[in-house]
Amino acid sequence: MSDMTRRRFVGQAAAVAGAAAVAGTAATSAGRVAAQEKTEITIYHIWGTPPGGTPAEQPAPMTQVIDAFNAQSETVTLNTNTPGNYQETLQKTQADIAAGNPPDLVSVPWANLHYAIDGLGVRDLASVAGDRYDEFVASMSETAWPLVTRDDVVHGFPWGLSTPIFYYNADIFEQAGVDPAEAFATWDSFAAACPALQEAVGGAPVFSLTYNKDWPAQTLIQSNGGRVLNDDGAFGFTSAEAKEAMQTIADLDTAGFYDRGTRDELRPNFIAGSTAVWQGSVASLGGLNNDAPFTLGTNTWPRFGDKPVVASTGGSFLGIFTEDESRFDAVLDFLAYCASEAGYSLWNQTGYVNISNIELERLPGQEPAYAQFEEGLILETNWPGARGLEAQAVWDVYCERMWANDISVEEGVSQALEGINAIIGA
Amino acid sequence: MAVTSPDQSAMRGTQPVATNRAWSWYRVSEGMTPYFLIAPLLVLIGVFIYWPLVYSTYLSFFDWNFVRPDKNYVGWDNFTRLPDDPRFMRALRGTLFYTVTLVPLQVFLPLGLALLLWPIRNSRAQTSYRIMLFSPTIIAYSVAAVMWLWIFNPLQGILNKLLVEFGVERIGWLSDRDTAIWAIIIVATWKTLGFHMLLYLAALEGVPKDYIEAASLDGANHWQIMRSIRFPLITPTFFFVLVTTVISVNDDVFGAINVLTDGGPFDSTTNIIYYLYQQGFQFFQIGAASAVAIIVFAATSVLTWVQFKFVERHVHYG
Repeated sequence: MSDMTRRRFVGQAAAVAGAAAVAGTAATSAGRVAAQEKTEITIYHIWGTPPGGTPAEQPAPMTQVIDAFNAQSETVTLNTNTPGNYQETLQKTQADIAAGNPPDLVSVPWANLHYAIDGLGVRDLASVAGDRYDEFVASMSETAWPLVTRDDVVHGFPWGLSTPIFYYNADIFEQAGVDPAEAFATWDSFAAACPALQEAVGGAPVFSLTYNKDWPAQTLIQSNGGRVLNDDGAFGFTSAEAKEAMQTIADLDTAGFYDRGTRDELRPNFIAGSTAVWQGSVASLGGLNNDAPFTLGTNTWPRFGDKPVVASTGGSFLGIFTEDESRFDAVLDFLAYCASEAGYSLWNQTGYVNISNIELERLPGQEPAYAQFEEGLILETNWPGARGLEAQAVWDVYCERMWANDISVEEGVSQALEGINAIIGA
Repeated sequence: MAVTSPDQSAMRGTQPVATNRAWSWYRVSEGMTPYFLIAPLLVLIGVFIYWPLVYSTYLSFFDWNFVRPDKNYVGWDNFTRLPDDPRFMRALRGTLFYTVTLVPLQVFLPLGLALLLWPIRNSRAQTSYRIMLFSPTIIAYSVAAVMWLWIFNPLQGILNKLLVEFGVERIGWLSDRDTAIWAIIIVATWKTLGFHMLLYLAALEGVPKDYIEAASLDGANHWQIMRSIRFPLITPTFFFVLVTTVISVNDDVFGAINVLTDGGPFDSTTNIIYYLYQQGFQFFQIGAASAVAIIVFAATSVLTWVQFKFVERHVHYG
C-alpha cells in the first residue's frame, strides 16, 4: 500500500464504485424483470391487528399468512390493504368497485353474504376455480361450505369462523370466591354470582356484551329456543322465548350488573380489570392473550335451564371480486396456500375455529368455541332485502334500548318489528 | 417633396394594421386574463361542488348502491318516506338541538375569550393562551377521540374519578342518553373554539387605534368603546363566523359523533349528517343519502339567505 498514490486510490475507488453501480443496475433490472413476471393481486381484510386487539410485537396472523405466501410464491405478489373494521372494509370495496378498480379478495362477514351477492356482485367460486373447483371444496371442512352457499352456488372461500364466547378475569373470580364453572352454568347461577363479583370490582358493572348487539342477541334468543329470523324468513324475535331471553339482560341491568358502555369502552374496561366478564368473539382470543394483564379465562354462554347453548356463527369468508380473468390463477394460488397446512397453521393462531381439514392443536381458551360448535351453530342472521343492513341497525338499537331498560322488552320487540317491516317492506 | 421608396410606402401601409391587430389582441387577452386566472379554480369548483350537486340531485330519484348495474327509478320515494322514518326524525331533532346549542357557543364564547385576551395582546401570556386554545383545531378527531374517550370513560376516566372523589356517583357520559349529547357538544366546542377566537382577535387588531383614542379623549369608558366602536367594527367578522357556523355546525359535529358515540346511545346523539353518512356508507342506499343531501343543501341555503336578509343590515363594513 505504500506505493498507493492518492490519484491511484481515487481511480481504483471510482472503478470499484462504477462496477458496483453497473452490477447493482443489472441486479435491479433482473429483479424488475422478475417482479414484472409476477401477477399482482390485492386483498382487503380486517386483520391488520389481532381482531379486537392492539398491535403486538409479532405481526398479526393474517399478515404472517400473506408474508409467507409472498415469500414462497414465484408467480404472485399479494398486496394488502386493511381499511378498518368490516364496515369500513365493505365501504372501501364498494367505492373501489364503483371506481372500476375492485380488489381481488375481500374479507366479507358471513352475515353480509346476501349483500355481497346482490349488492356487490361477488363472484361464485366455480366460475373462478374452473377445473380446480373440486380441489378447493375438498380443502376445507364440509361444515363450512353451507355458510357461503346460496341456491346451491358457492359464493366465496370459507375462512374465519368464529362464535361468541364469554371471557372472564380469573383473578377477579378468585378474589370474589366465585367458581367460574358454576357461575357460567346457567343465567340464574350467573345472576347469583354477580353480587360477589361486583364487590370485587368495586361496585362497577360486572359484565358486558360485545358491541353490535344484534350478534349476542342472536345467541341469547336461540339458546332459549327462539330465533331472531326464522328459517321461513319471518321475524321470530317477538316470540315468548325471545322476549324471556332479552328480559334476562334487562334484569341484570336493573340490578346494576350490566355494563352499558359504548363500542370503545367495553373491551378496555375488561382489559383494565374494571369489569369481570366480557362476551366477545373467539377470534379475539389471540389479541386478548396479548393484552390482558391478568389470568384470562373462557367459557361457553350460560344456559337457560337445561336448554342447549345454540350460538351464532361470526367472522367472514374471502369473497372474490377480480374482474380480470388473467388474475384468477393468482387468486386461486393464494386460496390454495390458505388451505394448506403451512398457511392454515399460521392463521390458526387467531382463535378462529378450525374449519380446514388439517388436524391442528387447539389454542388454550378455544375449548368453549369448539363445545358450542359441536353443540350446533346457527348461521349468523343474514338480514333480507336490499335494505337489510338498515333493518339490522334498527334491531341493534332496540336490543341496546331493551337491555339498558330504556324501553320495556314488550314494547321494544313490538316497535322493532314495526320499524323493520317499514324498512324491509319499503 | 419627400421621395419615398416603394418598400417604405408598403411599410407605412401595413404597419398600422399590424399594430392594430396586436393592440386588439392585447386588449382581448388583457380582458380575458382574469378569466384565465380564475379558470382553474372555476373548474375545480365545478368538478368538486356543482357537479356532485347536480349528480346527487339526479341520484336522489333512484334506488341504487353505486355498484349494481341497474338503477331503479323511484321518483320522489326517497324524499316522501323520510317523515315516516323514526331514525330520520330523531336525526332531525338532534340537528335542531345541535344548531340551537352550538351556534351560540361557537359564536359568542370565542368572542368572549377574544375580548378577554385582547387587553393582554402584547404579553407572552396571550400567545400561550392562543396556542392552547387553537391547537384543538388542528388535531384530527380520530386523535382527539382517544383523549376524550379516556376522559369520559365511566370506569377509568379522569372525570368520573374526580366525581367519585367528591362522593358523586359514576356517570356514563357517552352511554347515557341525557349526558351523551352534552359530551358531544363539549368536544365540538373545544374543537372549534380556538379558530373562531383567532378570527375575532384578528378583527380586534384591525380596529383603527385613532378611533379608540378619540373616543377616550371624549371621555368614553371601556364599555362604551366596546359597544359603540369595537363591536360595530368587528361585525363583518362576527357575521362571517355566524354564517359559516350555521352552515357547518352539523358537519363539524359529525366527527365527534362518529368517533365517540356512533350516534348512540339509542340514536340520541345522531344528526342529519350522520344519518346521511349511515344511509350512504353503512347501508349503501346512495339514492336515499342523496335525497337527504339535497334537503340539507336546501335548508342551509334558506338559512344563509335569511341571515343575509335580516342580519347583514346590522353589519358595518366600514
